Amino acid sequence: MLAQQLLNGLVVSGVYALFSLGFTLVFGIQRILNLAHGAVFMTGAMVAYYTVDGGGPLWLAFILAIIVSGCLSVLVEITCFRRLRKTGDEEFGGVVSSIGAGLVITTIAQQISSTQILRFPFETFPVVIFRFWDLRVSMLQLFMAGAALVMVLILGYLFYKTAFGRRVRAVTDNERAATLMGINPNRIYMQTYFLAGALAGAAGVLVGLAFNSISFVMGEPYMMFGFAIIILGGLGSIPGALLASVIFGMVQTLTIAYLPSGLTDTIIFAALFLILLVRPHGLLGQEDAGNLGGRR
Amino acid sequence: MSNFIAGYLPLFDLYCLHVGLALSQFIVLRAGVFSLATAAFAGIGAYTAGILAVDLGAHPVLGVLCGTLMGMLVAMVLSIPLARLRGVYQAIATVAFIQICLSLNIYSESITGGAMGLNNIPKTVGTGTLFVFAALATYMIWAIEKGRLGRAFNTIRQDEAVAASLGISIRKHQMLAFAISGALAGLFGSLEAYHSYAIDPRQFGFHLLITVLSYVIFGGRNSVIGPLAGAAFLIILPELARPLAENRMVIYGIMLILVINFMPKGVADTAIDAIKARRLTAKRGDSA
Repeated sequence: MLAQQLLNGLVVSGVYALFSLGFTLVFGIQRILNLAHGAVFMTGAMVAYYTVDGGGPLWLAFILAIIVSGCLSVLVEITCFRRLRKTGDEEFGGVVSSIGAGLVITTIAQQISSTQILRFPFETFPVVIFRFWDLRVSMLQLFMAGAALVMVLILGYLFYKTAFGRRVRAVTDNERAATLMGINPNRIYMQTYFLAGALAGAAGVLVGLAFNSISFVMGEPYMMFGFAIIILGGLGSIPGALLASVIFGMVQTLTIAYLPSGLTDTIIFAALFLILLVRPHGLLGQEDAGNLGGRR
Repeated sequence: MSNFIAGYLPLFDLYCLHVGLALSQFIVLRAGVFSLATAAFAGIGAYTAGILAVDLGAHPVLGVLCGTLMGMLVAMVLSIPLARLRGVYQAIATVAFIQICLSLNIYSESITGGAMGLNNIPKTVGTGTLFVFAALATYMIWAIEKGRLGRAFNTIRQDEAVAASLGISIRKHQMLAFAISGALAGLFGSLEAYHSYAIDPRQFGFHLLITVLSYVIFGGRNSVIGPLAGAAFLIILPELARPLAENRMVIYGIMLILVINFMPKGVADTAIDAIKARRLTAKRGDSA
C-alpha cells in the first residue's frame, strides 16, 4: 500500500515539476511572479481537448497544446511585462498585470467551453494496466512519468550544455552586462517564456488526461501548489523546483491517503507559510531572497 | 424617480462594502507592505459576526464589534511573522494565509457550516448604516494620511533605511498598518454578514482578493480618493456596459494590464498630479 502510494506520488511529482519549472524559470530570470501561468497551463489542456474533439490524434493534440501555450506565454510577456521592466516597477506591477492576463485568458476559456467540464472521449489514451510485485501501474502513468522526465532532461540540456543556456544564465545574472556582450535580452526573455509556457501546456495535457476533467478553473489550484513548490525549492532555482516537486507530490499523495481529507490543503499551505518564515530562500535558493530579518 | 433609486440601491450597498475593503487593502500598501490578506480578514470578521448572531443570538452591535476586534487581532498576530518578509514573498505568504483560512473554514463544518456556508443570519444592516460606516472609514484613513502616521508610512514605503535612520520603527508601524487593515476588513466583513442573510467560504477567497486589489490599483495607491474612485468606476462600469456583461472579467483584466502599464499611479492619482501641475504652472505665470 505504501509503495503504491509512493509510486503514485512520483507520477504526480512529474506533472508538478513541469508546471513549476516554468514558473521558477520566469522568476529566476526576471524577478517576476507570473500569475498567468495557471491560465497558460489550462490553455494547454483545452487546446488538446479541442484537437481530440475535432478528430485529431492525441500526439498532434499534445504538440499543438505545447506550441499554443508557449506562444500564449510569449504574448503575456510582451503585453504585460515588457513595458513594466522599463519603468522598473516589475515586482509589484508584474503581479497585478499577470493577474489581469490570467483573468482575460480564463474568461475567454470559460466562454469557449460554456462553463462546462470537458472530458476526453473514452480510450483517448489506451487503458492498459501493468502489474508487478504488488504494484499497479497504468500505461498513462508510465507515459506521464516518461514525458515529464524527457522534458526535464531536454530543459537541463538546453540550460546547462548549449549556447542558448549560457545566454539565459548570463541575462539572469546581469542583464546589463549580458547586453554589453551582444545578447539581446528581449529575445532571451521571449525564448524563456516560450519554454515556460510549453512546459505548463504539457503539464496541462497530462493532468487533463490523468483526471479526465478539463475546466477553465483547473489552473487555479495548480497555481497555488506551484507557489508552494517554488518557494520550497527556492525562488528561481531549477534543481530546487525539481526536488520540491518530488517532495510535494509525495507529501500530497500521502496526506490524502492517510490523513482526514479536508485537511490536505491546510497542511500544505501551513507548511508553505512556515517555510517562508524559517527559510524564505527555500531549500536550494540563494541567500539574498526576501529576508531582511537581521538587517534592522 | 424613486424606482430608479430603488433599482440602484443594491449597487450602492455593494459600493459601500467594497470601499471599506478597498481602504483596508490601501492602508497596507501605503505602509509599504505587499499584503493581500484583506479577503481573509473580511472572512474572519464575517464569520465571527455571523456565528455570534446565529448560534448565540447576539446583538448586531456586539457582533460587529467582535468581528472588527477579531479581524484586528488576527492581523496583528499575522504581522509578526510577516515582518521578516518583503515584496513578493509577503504577497505569497498572505495568499497562503487566505488558503489556510479557506480550507480550515470548509473543514470545521460543525462551527462554520463548511462549504454550504452560514445561513439564516438576521438582516440588521441597511443602506444607511453601510453608508455611515463607509464615510467614517474614509474619514479615518484620510485623517491618518494627513497626520504624522501618514508621513511615517510614506517614508517607510519609499525607503526603509531612511525611515529607520529617522527613528521611525518599521516593525511597529507595519504592525499598526496591519491592525488598521484587519480592523477595517473585519468591520466590513461583519457588516456584509448582517447585510446579506448568508455567507459562504468561497466568497472570501482569491476572487475577492483580485477584486479589492484592482480597486486600489485602478484608482491609485497614494491618496484616499484612489480606492474610492477605483471602486466606483469598477462597480459602475459593468452596469453601464450591460451588453458586455458576459465579458466583464475580460474588461477587468484588460483594464488592470493597461492601467498598471500606462498609468502605474492609478487613474485618480494621475488626475490629481495633472491638476497640481497645472496649478503650479498657472501660479508661475502670475508671478512672472
